[in-house]
Amino acid sequence: MADFVQTLITTLEIGSLYALIALGYTMVYGILKFINFAHSDIVVLGAWISFTLSSWILPAIGLDPHNPATPPPFWVGGVILVASMVACGLVGFLIERLAYRPLRNAPRLNVLITAIGVSLLLQNVGQLDFVFGPSPQKMPALLPNWSVFSFSFPSSGGTHEISIGLVDVILFVTSAVLMLGLEYLVFRTKLGTAMRAVSYSPTTAALMGIPVDRVVSFTFVLGSALAAAAGFLYAMKYPGLNQPAHTIWVLLGLKAFVAAVIGGIGNVRGAVVGGFVIAFVEQFGAYYVSSNYRDVYVFALLIVILLVQPNGLLGSPVRDKV
Amino acid sequence: MKNSHPAAGATRRPQTLPTASGLRAPWFSFGPYLVGIALAAALYVTLPAAIGPYYSRIVIDCGIAMILAVSLNIVSGMTGQFSIGHAGFMALGGYTAGMITYYGSLLWWGTAARHGGFLGAGDWFFVVACVVGGLVAAAAGYLVGLPSLRLRGDYLAIVTLGFGEILRVVLQQTDKVMDDAAAVRASALADWWPPPVGGAVGFDGLPKYTNLFWVGAFLTVTVVAAYRIKQSSIGRAMLAVREDEVAAQAMGVDIAKTKVRAFVLAALFAGMAGGLFAHEPGLIISPKDAGFQRSFEYLIMTVLGGRGSISGVMLAAVILTALPEFLRDFEQYRLIVYALLLIGMMLLRPQGLFGIHEIWQILGRRGKTAQESEA
Amino acid sequence: MVPGESTAELLRAENLCLSFGGLKAVQNFSFGLPLGALYGLIGPNGAGKTTVFNLLTGVYRPDSGEIRLAGESLVGRKPHEITAAGIARTFQNIRLFPDLSVLDNVCLAGQLRASQRLAGTVLRTTHHRQEEAAVRARCLELLGLFDLRERAEMLATSLSYGHQRHLEIVRALATEPKVLLLDEPAAGLNFREKHALAQSIRDLRDRFGVAILLIDHDMKLVM
Repeated sequence: MADFVQTLITTLEIGSLYALIALGYTMVYGILKFINFAHSDIVVLGAWISFTLSSWILPAIGLDPHNPATPPPFWVGGVILVASMVACGLVGFLIERLAYRPLRNAPRLNVLITAIGVSLLLQNVGQLDFVFGPSPQKMPALLPNWSVFSFSFPSSGGTHEISIGLVDVILFVTSAVLMLGLEYLVFRTKLGTAMRAVSYSPTTAALMGIPVDRVVSFTFVLGSALAAAAGFLYAMKYPGLNQPAHTIWVLLGLKAFVAAVIGGIGNVRGAVVGGFVIAFVEQFGAYYVSSNYRDVYVFALLIVILLVQPNGLLGSPVRDKV
Repeated sequence: MKNSHPAAGATRRPQTLPTASGLRAPWFSFGPYLVGIALAAALYVTLPAAIGPYYSRIVIDCGIAMILAVSLNIVSGMTGQFSIGHAGFMALGGYTAGMITYYGSLLWWGTAARHGGFLGAGDWFFVVACVVGGLVAAAAGYLVGLPSLRLRGDYLAIVTLGFGEILRVVLQQTDKVMDDAAAVRASALADWWPPPVGGAVGFDGLPKYTNLFWVGAFLTVTVVAAYRIKQSSIGRAMLAVREDEVAAQAMGVDIAKTKVRAFVLAALFAGMAGGLFAHEPGLIISPKDAGFQRSFEYLIMTVLGGRGSISGVMLAAVILTALPEFLRDFEQYRLIVYALLLIGMMLLRPQGLFGIHEIWQILGRRGKTAQESEA
Repeated sequence: MVPGESTAELLRAENLCLSFGGLKAVQNFSFGLPLGALYGLIGPNGAGKTTVFNLLTGVYRPDSGEIRLAGESLVGRKPHEITAAGIARTFQNIRLFPDLSVLDNVCLAGQLRASQRLAGTVLRTTHHRQEEAAVRARCLELLGLFDLRERAEMLATSLSYGHQRHLEIVRALATEPKVLLLDEPAAGLNFREKHALAQSIRDLRDRFGVAILLIDHDMKLVM
């Protein structure tokens, strides 16, 4: 029972993160109809920028950046989060402007290849010595190690304690705030309507006076900012920062992509749903079946969904006009 | 000019098709194959002594890379099906071939070392193993090709990526290699799943049969076959599917069959190359050779060389395999250069260096450009 | 009854219906195309003419209704099967294969009935050589219909607009069709070219005995 609850909690946490990342994929796909391969690298970038910032800020307030003796004040985490989101938003803007916009009318395959190139560029530039370096680092704890809720479960050999720490709560709350904020933006503001209009038909939207280029740029900025937030939150929860070549991060992004597809790519609410579905499959599959094949479940699910219901759970079919 | 009289139920009889039966071929059809193999033999005999083992190894690597680039070109360049899991086929073929030679050698000859000399029993066993590896990979190619019938470019790319990654994870969970002949003989069926191919460490201990001759021979077969396919109806159908599926269908091309066929062929050659790869001296095939990192290496060869150009991707394969060897000091920048190259090519010259044309066609065309375009 | 027509109906469409979501593109459309006929399909933009072509060639499956070619039902068959059965078409917006030569564009259609065996291709057997040569020869002849023979090796997109339109027709003809669907074959041509094309189309009908259904806005051409 205890394990079930623990798995459930982890599912909700990881699901939130997948959802945040998936939103970026889905918004870009909705607007430009292509899969931004480089998106998962923005997540990584967000995490590394957070780390770098914390290694600058912590000493400035007199704390050891690698192992702060006391947790820093709360505003440090907030500042790093916002700064990281802004920085990644900027990177997203630049990528769209320099690499994708010139190819707006090119065959989709070309843009896809470019996206792969951008992804590789981000990964490998990040590993250069004068950027982040190839060695793994550990994210310092920016939050005190408090336990907010605590459950006890009887089990063989005494009671089993499951605690939900401050980190977990902050993770939930921040994700929820961001997702709700996005929901509000997309469905209740003029800008959101513009985004949805462009995703239906860029030419019509342009004829209606919508500045398509600016909407596209904004979408990229938004998606990248969310990705950065996800990266920061993940680093808070799982502080071991490895370079992308060492699996965890790339898989994080890839699974989020699967989440976006499952929810119906292009569909904002679907991305959130998909995030939790994927987290569920992954966590419960790993726990109850075998954790060695954790990644396989997610990919296998993707392939099944693409073959059976390619428009995802909330998507709708579109026909090719001849 | 044909004339048909309109008649009820007008059955248009197709042109009289040739009557020559089955596989009879004029002797000169085999010419290119024989020439290639002879060249391979000549290189095998002369080159290692001339340039030494280090450079010979690079030549072998280039040869294998060329086979993989040409095979990827069939499905990606010619048929336009974006496949970024190609290394998966290679790894599958390599591991299969390895299992056959390794455990076969243990069972028959008691040891996993090379058996017999050049063109001896061991060599032919190795060739058979590579072919079987290719066939297994081809079967996988069929399975991976099926989604291509329903999925567009980016989705198909993801599925192919998923194939490679799934294979990588599965290979990582495999058992240790059995190194005792007696143990192999005594083993039960259950011991063989997961296959004992070494897990994350890789499949070590394979008899190293790969040499310049075999690489050259397989390369010859691949290139001649690919070129002939390109110049024929099958190739035309593939190119049409790449250019415009709807129009191709309207002209009678069975696009499903064409796409799947492309995947199967590409996987077949990749699998055989995998066999060569696994048995290369000084190299241990491991699960990461099925993953995206390696698939990417072949992808960039096809992007650089030209979408559809066989000689173009061969040239790109040589450049991208040999150059890094000579620029080892800059290894940490290699992938960055590749990434920039990829982006740059897409922005500036998306059709690759040679586009759909072969290198000699480009050179010949230089003189003809004046007459080409019409007012 | 116009000379050249017979009473037998080669192509018959019955109550075709197709909707895209809420939009009823085609509603209860029926017609019959006799052997040797040259019919026009007219209507304003957006009426659904090209959609009818797409239904006839299998690109879309009708929600209801029947399509019969020489008695055989074509509904639900794949486009390439329908082409093999004998319906060929051209496109409203020219859809030639840009990276292929003029001749290759036609051969692609002309190889429809060739066996295309892999073994034969890889070994270049006699059978394969003969087939390829036969297809090539026939397609070259067809190119001659519109004076495109000398341009056989040029890239299809390097042809002038008028020639590209002709090439599309030749390509469709190469599939040895019983029925030829021409979607705005004269769009973008000047007066003289249209007149010549109209004559050519009549010639095609007489020479190959193919029934032709054409879409165009220009009433004079249709007449």
